[in-house]
Amino acid sequence: MNTPILEMKNITKKFGSVTALNGVDLEVYPGEIRGLIGENGSGKSTISSIAAGMQKATSGQMSYEGNAWEPESMIDALNKGIGMVVQESGTITGITVAENIFLAEMKKFKKGLLVDRKRLFEEADRALSNIGITSISGKDMMDSLSFQDRKLVEIAKVILKKPKILVIDETSTALSHDGRQIMYGIMKKMKKEGGSVLFISHDLEEIMEVCDTLTVLRDGNLIRTFAKEEFDEELIRTSMIGREIEGDYYRPDFSCSFLDEEAIVVKNLCFKDKLKDVSLTLHCGEILGIGGLADCGMHELGEAMFGALKPESGAVISPRGRQIKSPHNAMTDKIGYVSKDRDRKSLCLEASIKDNIAIAGMNIFKSGAGLITRSAERKYVDAQIDALRIKCSGRDQAVAQLSGGNKQKVVFGKWIGCDSKILILDCPTRGVDIGVKQAMYQLMSQLKSEGKAILMISEELPELIGMSDRVLIMKNGEITGEFQRSKDLSESDIIGCMI
Amino acid sequence: MNIKKIINRQNIIALLPMAALAVLFLVFCTVVNAKGYRLDMYLKIVFNEALVLAIVATGATFIYTLGTFDISLGASTLFSATLGVMVYNRTENIALMMAVILLTGIVCSLLNSVLASIFHIPAFVTTVAMMSVLSAVSAQIITVNGGALGGISIPSSVVKPFDNMPFKIATLLLFFAVSVFVFEFTKAGRRMKFVGGNPLCAYLTGIKADKYTILAFVMAGIGIGLGAFLTLVYTPSVTTTTASSIGMNIFIAIVFGGMPISGGARSRIYAALVGGFSYMLLNDILEIVIDSSAAYGITQVISAVFFLIVVYITGMNYKTALLPR
Repeated sequence: MNTPILEMKNITKKFGSVTALNGVDLEVYPGEIRGLIGENGSGKSTISSIAAGMQKATSGQMSYEGNAWEPESMIDALNKGIGMVVQESGTITGITVAENIFLAEMKKFKKGLLVDRKRLFEEADRALSNIGITSISGKDMMDSLSFQDRKLVEIAKVILKKPKILVIDETSTALSHDGRQIMYGIMKKMKKEGGSVLFISHDLEEIMEVCDTLTVLRDGNLIRTFAKEEFDEELIRTSMIGREIEGDYYRPDFSCSFLDEEAIVVKNLCFKDKLKDVSLTLHCGEILGIGGLADCGMHELGEAMFGALKPESGAVISPRGRQIKSPHNAMTDKIGYVSKDRDRKSLCLEASIKDNIAIAGMNIFKSGAGLITRSAERKYVDAQIDALRIKCSGRDQAVAQLSGGNKQKVVFGKWIGCDSKILILDCPTRGVDIGVKQAMYQLMSQLKSEGKAILMISEELPELIGMSDRVLIMKNGEITGEFQRSKDLSESDIIGCMI
Repeated sequence: MNIKKIINRQNIIALLPMAALAVLFLVFCTVVNAKGYRLDMYLKIVFNEALVLAIVATGATFIYTLGTFDISLGASTLFSATLGVMVYNRTENIALMMAVILLTGIVCSLLNSVLASIFHIPAFVTTVAMMSVLSAVSAQIITVNGGALGGISIPSSVVKPFDNMPFKIATLLLFFAVSVFVFEFTKAGRRMKFVGGNPLCAYLTGIKADKYTILAFVMAGIGIGLGAFLTLVYTPSVTTTTASSIGMNIFIAIVFGGMPISGGARSRIYAALVGGFSYMLLNDILEIVIDSSAAYGITQVISAVFFLIVVYITGMNYKTALLPR
C-alpha cells in the first residue's frame, strides 16, 4: 500500500440546505478492503456514490490512478474501473436478467438488425456462474426474482466489467448466508488480484472481519480511520454515534410472556412451494419471530398474513374474526406491514415524509366533516417525527433524500401513527445502523408492553433470539421448529431446523 | 423561516410556471399594443380559448395525477356537445341540454375507468379505444343531421345568456375550487397522489386504486361536460373537428403549468389553470408576431420546443431530489 488508487480530497456535497458531506478526505489503496461505517445519514452512501459516478460533489477533488476523476455517470465510472452495487434495488424490472446485465452493452449482441438473444442469454448465464450463481438464468424475468437474487444479478453485472474498485453499499443484509459467501469470495479475490473494495455495512462484526481499514463517518464528517490492528468494537461504535450506547440493546427479560387473546390466526396456508400447510397463532402482546434461510417462505408468509399474497388454500383470520383477503382488509383490521423491500413496497420515494406518514392515518386526524386539514396533518406527522427521532430537514423533505434508517423510521411512523394493533415486520432492521436498530428494538418492546402483536420476520438469528417471545423456524415452506424465549436459547439450537 | 429555505432550487422551479404566466401576459399585452390592436378584445379571445382548455385540463389533472392519461378528452368533449345539440334541437329545453352534456361527459369518462377495471388493463389503453369510438359516432351523428362541414347547431340566442365574463369566470372558479377541495382536503385526493407516486406501495397501504381511478375519471368527466357546454356557449355549433386538438393541448398545458408527466405526489391542481392560460397566451403571441399563413405550423414547433424545455427543467429537479444520501 503506497500510492492510493483513489483519492478524494475535501469532498463536500449539499442537497439544498442539507450538507451531506462536509470536506471529507478518503483514500483507497490497491489490494485494500476499506470499510465505511457510520450511522444512517452519516454520508457513507453519498461519498461512495460520488466516487462511482452516480452524482457529483458540490466541491472537492478526486483522482483515480493518478489522474483527475470526473466520471460522467455510473456506466462511465464502471467502464473506467469503479463499479458500485447500490443499497436498494439497482436493477430494472420488466426485462430479463440478461438484459439487465448487458443493459449498456446490447450492441455487442447485434446480429444484423436484430439482437442475438441466444448468445445474450449464454453470456448472462456465464457471468452469473462466474461468481457462483447457478440458480438464476439469464432468461428469467427480473420481476420473478426475490430481492436477494436481484442483488446477486447486480453484483454479477458489476463484476463482469472487472472493476479495479468495487463499491458495495449495504448489500449484505439483503443477502442470505450463501449470497454473503459469494460476495465475500468476490471481495477476497479482488484483494488478492490487487483490486480494492469500498465496503459499507452496518454489521460491525462483519465489517471488522472482512476489512483491512475502517473509516468512520458521522453527520457528513470524517471522524477517524482505523487500521486493522486498531479495531476495537466499543471504540468504533462510540466513534460512529459520538456517545456511549446507553440502555439495553435487545430485550433485557427472558420470559416468554404474552396475553391469551389471539391477534391473528393462520390456518393451513398453502402457496406454491413457498407455504406448505402453515398454521400459527400470534397473540396480543407477543413478539413472534419467524426465521429461516432467505427462500424458506417466511417473506411470503408475511405477505399472505397482510392479504398481499393470495394463498391457494388456508386462511388468515383477523381479531374481528374475518378472513384477511387484501391489504385493505388488513388495514381496516388495524394490521400494518413493513416490507423488506422498503423503497419499492413501503414508501413513495418522491413524496414527502409528511405524505408517507399521513397516508395511513387520515382516518385519525381528519376533521369531523371528513376533511384533511393542514394543521391536524402537521400535528400528526410531527408527533411521529419527534417520537421516532427522524433526522430530517423538515416534514416536507422528500423521503428519497433520507438515509436508509430514517426511511425505515418513516415506514414505522406510518403504521404506528395509525394505531396498528398488529405489525408484520419483514426484516425491520435491514440496512439500519446500530443506533437506529436499538431504537427500533426499544420501540418493539414498548409496543409489546402496550399489548400490540408483532410478527418479526428476520434473517438475523441474534435479533430473533434477542427480541422474540417465540421463534418459529421455516424451511422449504414449512415450520420446522418452535423455540420459547429463554436465557439459554442459542443460535446453534436453531440452526439445525434451518438447514 | 430561513430565507435560504424559501429561495431553494425546488421552490424556485415550483414557482416558474406562475412567473412564466406573468411574463407571457406582459409580453402579450406589449405585442398587442405594439401592433395597435385592441387589448380588451384580444384578452377576451384568449380568455375564451383558454377557458375550455383550463376547465377540461383541471378535471384531467386527476387522471394525470394517477400516472396515466386520457387521449379521448377531445372526443368526449365533442360527443357531449353533439348530444347536447341533438337534445336541444329535439326538446328546446336548455336545462335538459345542460344535464345531458354534463352526464355524457361523466359517462364517457367513467366508461374508460370501468372498462380498465373490468379488463385489468391500463386506463390509457381504454381511452385510445374510446377516442376512436366517440369520434366515429359523433361524426356519424353530425354528418347525418347537418353535414360534415356545416355541422349541427343550436340558435345562438339560446346560449347568449351564458356568453358573458361573469358566468364563465364563476364556472371556472367554482369547478377549480371544487377540484382544489377534492385534491388537497379529502382522503380521495391525497390517495390519488399516492397511487400515482407508487401504486405498489399504495396497494400495500390498503388503498384501492380502482376506486380512486374511477373517482379521477368522474372529476375529469365533469370537466369534459363543463368544457363541452362552454364550447357551445362560445360557438353554438358542432362540427367533426370541434375540440379535436384539446387532448394534446391539455397534455402540453398541464406540463406547462408545472405538473410532472409521471403524476404522483408532486402533482399540482393549479397546473391546469396556469398551464392552460400560459399555453393560449404563447400561441396567440406567436400568431400575432408571425402573422402569416405559416403561423400555425411555426407556433406548433415553438410550442413543442417550450414543452421539451419545461419537461427537462422539471425532470432535472426530480432527478436531483432522488439522489441518495
